[in-house]
Amino acid sequence: MKHIKIVAKNRIKRDKLTGCGECAAACQSACKTSCTVGNVECERITHSLERKTKEG
Amino acid sequence: MIHTFTCLNRHFCVDTFTGSVFELNELSKLMIEAYKNSSFIDINREEFFSYSKKELDEALIEVESLIREGILFSKEPFIKTPEFNGDIKSMCLHISHACNLSCGYCFAEGGDYGTAKKSENTSLLHMSISTAKKAIDFLVKFSGKIKNLEVDFFGGEPLLNLDVVKEAVSYARGLEKTNNKNFRFTFTTNALALDEKAIEFLNAEMEHVILSIDGRKDVHNSIRKTKAGSDSYDLVLKNSKKFALARGQKSYFVRGTFTVDNLDFTNDVLALKTEGFDRISLEPVVLDEAHSLAIKKEHLPQIFDEYERLAGEYLAHRAKGDWFTFFHFNLNLYDGPCEQRLLRACGAGCSYVAIAPNGDMYPCHQFVGLDGFKIGNVDIGSYSRTIPIRFGDKNHILEKPLCKSCWARYYCGGGCVAASIKYNNKIAVPHELSCEMQKKRIECALAIWAIENQ
Repeated sequence: MKHIKIVAKNRIKRDKLTGCGECAAACQSACKTSCTVGNVECERITHSLERKTKEG
Repeated sequence: MIHTFTCLNRHFCVDTFTGSVFELNELSKLMIEAYKNSSFIDINREEFFSYSKKELDEALIEVESLIREGILFSKEPFIKTPEFNGDIKSMCLHISHACNLSCGYCFAEGGDYGTAKKSENTSLLHMSISTAKKAIDFLVKFSGKIKNLEVDFFGGEPLLNLDVVKEAVSYARGLEKTNNKNFRFTFTTNALALDEKAIEFLNAEMEHVILSIDGRKDVHNSIRKTKAGSDSYDLVLKNSKKFALARGQKSYFVRGTFTVDNLDFTNDVLALKTEGFDRISLEPVVLDEAHSLAIKKEHLPQIFDEYERLAGEYLAHRAKGDWFTFFHFNLNLYDGPCEQRLLRACGAGCSYVAIAPNGDMYPCHQFVGLDGFKIGNVDIGSYSRTIPIRFGDKNHILEKPLCKSCWARYYCGGGCVAASIKYNNKIAVPHELSCEMQKKRIECALAIWAIENQ
């Protein structure tokens, strides 16, 4: 498209793996005072990717 | 819900309900803002006069195709209220309420969270190994099916009770196999007593380490004094550099605080970068408005400009291969958590608890010592779910009117509940000043993502 560039599409995941409780649950890995979920990774996706990488 | 904004001289748009993000030119920005205001784009309006018919037609087709695709002006879907099942994933162990620094902005009131003033707690500055083990047992017992458990050693200054940390880690590791758990440890330290043996231990056992240092030497020394009142920067810097060098690729952050006295905090981030740190976090101070170092509403315009200046410097450094990361500019636009997780950023009280040296349990580290927020005590084995249920019911964005109408809700997840209580005395009313800063950081982070991934 000429006038609009898609930077990210459908970030919100509504249809799978909901609420397993494995993702980071607090601000303790870096800031300790301001909470965010914008940079949290889905534990299952990350681990599945790591596994695939290890398996080659 | 749509949010358009300009950052680093470029225009962007966020579709809240899908999380889709777009970069716009001047014309598409005008069209999207027109549609946002009236659900209709009238190309005969004055603001479109300078564009040719061809340009207008092209842009209109692009806007309409994205709307048809359902990623622009998407409708609010049905959103399931996040469940609270009582499983606990994270624990902050206040391993020592003693501290070898006396920082001017300390939210822990010198390390002990004001507990020394209360007669029942006066004798306990260091957590005993018995209490630490009971806390870990509690976490394992109440973690349900959650496999990856997080434990942060915090203070005060946890290096002042390192032997107990070592024993607690060893104890927790011993529970992993039989209970099908995996512990991830974090250690937060002011680095003043960080010697080589401690570095070796932290690098072997800690998934994350946070070193507190405020940036420029004069900024740091003006606030982070030793108990004797002398400067701490030189020793903290020396120890932190030694640590970062030994750390290799494992995760760490140098984490500073900015106050009203250093609203030019880009210079502090860059000072830390110049000293060789490549993982940096800098947080706005948490203080009552009456405090001389507090950040107030009138400082926001300057802070917004400063975040944008930092974003520009960040991009410039990284573009020339001088890589570093700033915690709040990290975004995960593709591998982030599910919507249920995005609805509740902070698990305080629900899936996260803090344990004071005497075994008292609170919803998070910022609640320790706060009257009315004690959940139980691991030493005597008491635990009430009254407070956790209250936090579980109220601490998510569907219960927070301000969040329900906020475009940034899926990035911040409702913010810090301790700040909500501290400033508004209500779980469901976020601290607006923090929200405004958070939103600006998100805008910068989205702009950075767009520019670096173009």
